[in-house]
Amino acid sequence: MNAVGPALAAVGGLAVAGALAGGLAPARVRPLAAGLCTAGLGAAGVVAGAAALGGARYGVWLPGLLPLAGVRLAVDPLSGLFMAVTGAVTVAVAVYGVGYASPGGGMHGGRGPGDEDAAGSAGGRHAGSDAHEPRDALAAGGGDHGVRSRGAQAVGPVFAGAMVLVPAAGSVSTFLLLWELMALASLLLVLAEHRERPTVRSAGLWYAVMTHLGLVLLLVGLALFAARAGGESFAALRAGAGGMPAGVRGTVFVMTALAFTSKAGLAPLHAWLPRAHPEAPSHVSALMSAAMVNLGVYGLLRVGFDLLGGGPAWWWLLLMGAGALSAVYGILQAAMASDLKRLLAYSTSENLGLVVLGTGAAGLFRAAGDRPLAALALAAALLHVVNHAAFKALLFCAAGSVLRATGLRDLDRLGGLRARMPVTAGLFALGALGAVALPPGNGFVSEWLLLQALVHGLAVPGAAAAVVLPVAVAVIALSAGLAAAVFVKALGVGFFARPRSAGAGRAVESPPAMLAGMALLAACCAALALVPGALGPALTRAVRAAGVGTEKPLADGELGVHLAHTSAALHPLWVALALVAGTAAVAGLARLPARRRARRRDARLWDCGGGAPTARMAYTATSFAEPLQRVFDDVLAPEQDVDVTPVRESAYLVERVRFQRLVPDRIEHRLYRPLLAAVSGLADRARGLGGGSVHLYLGYGLFGLVAVLAALVVGW
Amino acid sequence: MSATGYVAVAAQVAVVAGGAPLLTGWMRQVRARLEGRAGAGVVQPWRDARKLLRKEPVSPTGTGPAFRLAPLLLVAGTAVVAALVPLAATRTPVSGSADLILVVALLALGTVALALAGLDTGTAFGGMGASREMTIAALVEPTILLAVFAVSIPAGSTNLPAIVAGTIDHPARTASPAELLAVAALVVAVLAETGRIPVDNPATHLELTMVHEAMVLEYAGPDLALVELGSQMRLAVLLGLVATLAAPWGVATGGSPALLALALALLVAKVAVLGTALAAAEVFRAKVRLFKVPELLAGSFVLALLAVVGSYFLTGEAGR
Amino acid sequence: MSHGVYAQLLDLACGVFLLCAVVVLWRRELAVVVRVLAVQGAALAAIAAVLGGHERRWGLLVVAAGVGVLRAGVLPYLLRRALDVGAVGGGPYREDVSEGRETRPVVNVAASLVVAALLVLLAYAVARPLVALDPTPATRALPVGLSVVLIGFFALVARRRALAQVVGFLVLDNGITATAFLAASGVPPIVELGVSFDVLLAVLVLYVLTARMRAAFGGTDLDDLRELSDR
Repeated sequence: MNAVGPALAAVGGLAVAGALAGGLAPARVRPLAAGLCTAGLGAAGVVAGAAALGGARYGVWLPGLLPLAGVRLAVDPLSGLFMAVTGAVTVAVAVYGVGYASPGGGMHGGRGPGDEDAAGSAGGRHAGSDAHEPRDALAAGGGDHGVRSRGAQAVGPVFAGAMVLVPAAGSVSTFLLLWELMALASLLLVLAEHRERPTVRSAGLWYAVMTHLGLVLLLVGLALFAARAGGESFAALRAGAGGMPAGVRGTVFVMTALAFTSKAGLAPLHAWLPRAHPEAPSHVSALMSAAMVNLGVYGLLRVGFDLLGGGPAWWWLLLMGAGALSAVYGILQAAMASDLKRLLAYSTSENLGLVVLGTGAAGLFRAAGDRPLAALALAAALLHVVNHAAFKALLFCAAGSVLRATGLRDLDRLGGLRARMPVTAGLFALGALGAVALPPGNGFVSEWLLLQALVHGLAVPGAAAAVVLPVAVAVIALSAGLAAAVFVKALGVGFFARPRSAGAGRAVESPPAMLAGMALLAACCAALALVPGALGPALTRAVRAAGVGTEKPLADGELGVHLAHTSAALHPLWVALALVAGTAAVAGLARLPARRRARRRDARLWDCGGGAPTARMAYTATSFAEPLQRVFDDVLAPEQDVDVTPVRESAYLVERVRFQRLVPDRIEHRLYRPLLAAVSGLADRARGLGGGSVHLYLGYGLFGLVAVLAALVVGW
Repeated sequence: MSATGYVAVAAQVAVVAGGAPLLTGWMRQVRARLEGRAGAGVVQPWRDARKLLRKEPVSPTGTGPAFRLAPLLLVAGTAVVAALVPLAATRTPVSGSADLILVVALLALGTVALALAGLDTGTAFGGMGASREMTIAALVEPTILLAVFAVSIPAGSTNLPAIVAGTIDHPARTASPAELLAVAALVVAVLAETGRIPVDNPATHLELTMVHEAMVLEYAGPDLALVELGSQMRLAVLLGLVATLAAPWGVATGGSPALLALALALLVAKVAVLGTALAAAEVFRAKVRLFKVPELLAGSFVLALLAVVGSYFLTGEAGR
Repeated sequence: MSHGVYAQLLDLACGVFLLCAVVVLWRRELAVVVRVLAVQGAALAAIAAVLGGHERRWGLLVVAAGVGVLRAGVLPYLLRRALDVGAVGGGPYREDVSEGRETRPVVNVAASLVVAALLVLLAYAVARPLVALDPTPATRALPVGLSVVLIGFFALVARRRALAQVVGFLVLDNGITATAFLAASGVPPIVELGVSFDVLLAVLVLYVLTARMRAAFGGTDLDDLRELSDR
């Protein structure tokens, strides 16, 4: 019995039910009803995905659902993997979202902005500086707008359902429809808090424009593909791809790859991501960053490997270039960011960069004829997709809890949360461990696999491989090293030490629903970190479904990850156990020499005899990142401005010094600004055409008609 | 073999844990003699450790679990590395998971834990040290992984016992330019990872220059002893790794206990020689400015890249 | 000479040769750079000698000796003198202590090293088809020559001091010579002689230029030459 069909039907049904519940239910139960529907559809997605990963294939054509083409669904293990990941993230985030949308939290507690009594107990930050804190401006929505509004609650399930169903699409029209549904729903959700913060609107505008430019590219590319292949179902595309001229195939690949990499948040088409992800409500950010961006990768794999059947080396070199660029650029920008959610958004850009780097390597190996290695590289990329989804959803949820409890996203003002929100801090630490790619975190396993694929790739003939692979290894290493610095900053500055503002000092632990959602994600992270070998067969099937290699990339191993063709192996569970045992042993041994059982005693911080330091003396995120910023000065090109106002009639006495530094997104500066300037320049000039006279406008119409007819005559 | 294997692993950990303070003491002694001082003696670090371990454990106010866990994790992680690296024997129960990338990552884990502990204190020094240490660690990573890449090319695997056994079987590999370049790059990376001159001065407490010491400034008593032991073990194990990769002779490939004892003795000798060379070099060199460190690391990065590429274009694919 | 030993020696010489080019970019002290250039000259002579010894072409050995004398002896000596003149000319209280060092190169050192790494990769990729034609140890090392040419060129672009530029030029020329040796076992001695003579002349010209610049501007920062066009 095939479980995929009923599960997909359940996804669709629950999405509609959730939308109705979110739109119609009374405000008190609205988040709960919509959240339950969303969680249910996520669970159905997991069921469908797991069944597909188990080897079930499913295809259906429903001509009545959509005029002209009908809805066509086709599920194979590759879609199954992405469905399962999206579904799992959706379940956890939906549970979290119920708590997130419930009333309460640090900034809903009826404390006015002028309430400064907590500042003193919070560790002595300048009380005056808190008066300007935009605490209410960052609030996660109060009253009947924001995340609790009818609109946001109704759109949430639709967004989740569309994401789960995108990988199930089996024809161009169905795919585009679901894709656009997903994009529109996410846009509406990004805009949910536009009344609270004006920046949301600008982020929404960027997102809307970029995602629709991507859609246009996708539409044109896939339409060209379908026209040449003589059919729009994926099966027809697959059959027709072989006979197409290389130029058409290349055009289709480049156009779709541009759209998909933009959706995946890869540089240089990433500009929407660091805007939209921080401004969206946090559970939406988690969904976007952990599930939606993955679908860009899915699209790349589906079109590049499956439908087009692979291609020449230059396609994949292009992908590897884009992946490497965003891996390094993303993590560098994350290192400079002091906004917690912006930091996480840039880290998404980095991780998806690594995934695409692996995908490109798989394509390169496949083009060179080394199928086993291609399978390994792709398995590594897919495993990283899964890992990234788990830890990034967890991190965004934890950041959302912080935002909800303190009203702050600025790391420079946070701190001390490990005492006030211990569970959230612990969960964030777990997610960060995954993100830094160090054992025993889950990110390490996939980066290790990726490195193995690249290290063994030198056996592949061709100058390209020999030149590109060492650079790729260096890029992965650099991004891993910088990621360590980034998450030490996020955890150490954001959660440790003492509160740097009154808002952080007042934080309280999140409600149980939010903690439960995060705990689910943390459990996923832990399972992925300790027994990644369990995913081996599923990865093998997904890689086979992508048509990359029929060989098993990983040897069967319950506990560890063994490469099938070399002696390399990794046993994360043993490593974790050894670390725990070692820590316990060291703790025990260190006590032996003590003459008497002395209890651990608290004492004043020494601080070089400087006395009890205030929170203002602690390193902030900005100061933490300063050495890195100086090292990468040429790449980041920060803008620095020192403004000295001298006391009147004195050359030496200074009244005020203002220092300002901004690390702009340089790609944006160099690439987007001129483009936008050119567009608005053209638009300005075009304004001259509109004189206001109706006759003039009618004249344009006539002229246009005549011109078209004339062109037709000449063309005849 | 399996009994000897377990003995070998235990012996490696014991030799590294017990010998690391002695190595540091030896290096200090060499430096002292070269600088015309008498020196405190080779066992002084052990005396310090005993003194510190007997003191009452103290936590500074306002620090959390990260501060207390970091020294334990540092020592435990290094001990796991000492068990994994085939310092004395290649055929051990853990040789299957003795992956070079894993070793590098486990060492980085200790760095990250200490950096978090530094930030946890909330002092300016802790943050400064953590920030500098993470900057250096981030920049070391590409060098060290490319060097790993280079040494793993001849063996076709990143599995350390496989690399070492391969080198023992083909002694000519150690003299190839690629291997020499890779080892040179690795040495620079090791200097940066262990915070030695010219990257960091372990003997300084000057706020302008200290990196590692600033991070651990708030530690006292048994915690401080563990932090010190952790750094000493790190140095010992990394020097042991370099010695094992550059001159693997003597590492027991079989299971005989006599060979194992010989291998341990040779390991101690090799690491002592490397330590002496390092200490002597430190006498004649100054620490470079923090912002000159990237130049140093970029240089060693180029060496590592040349090693990777060189293993191709100098000897061709013949070595594979 | 057995084949294995020959290949090892050649690789070693080529390795040192390439390494010197990298070190030229790495170090800022011009005195050190000049010394490294001498080592590179010696490595170049060694390459020629190893090739000559292997193929039993005694003419090549003579050329090797000539190259050694010129590139490891005469040219570094001239450069060294130019450097010392600059240092002594200012006396102990010279105004510009940075004259002996490349204090602010056009491209900073870390970035130039990364660029050098990429150039090496490029040279490798470009030379691959050439190596495939006839894979002997000598042609396999061809990318080394090419990389040194590119690195020398890059040093010309990225360094500010006139003397560092001369060094860059010499590294470039060393690279060309090495490529010639490795690809075709060297050019006829008479051509080699002519080229070496050219190089000597070029160095003398630059030497004079350096002295003139120092007289006119008090330093050898090539950016100062811009002033000439403004007049």
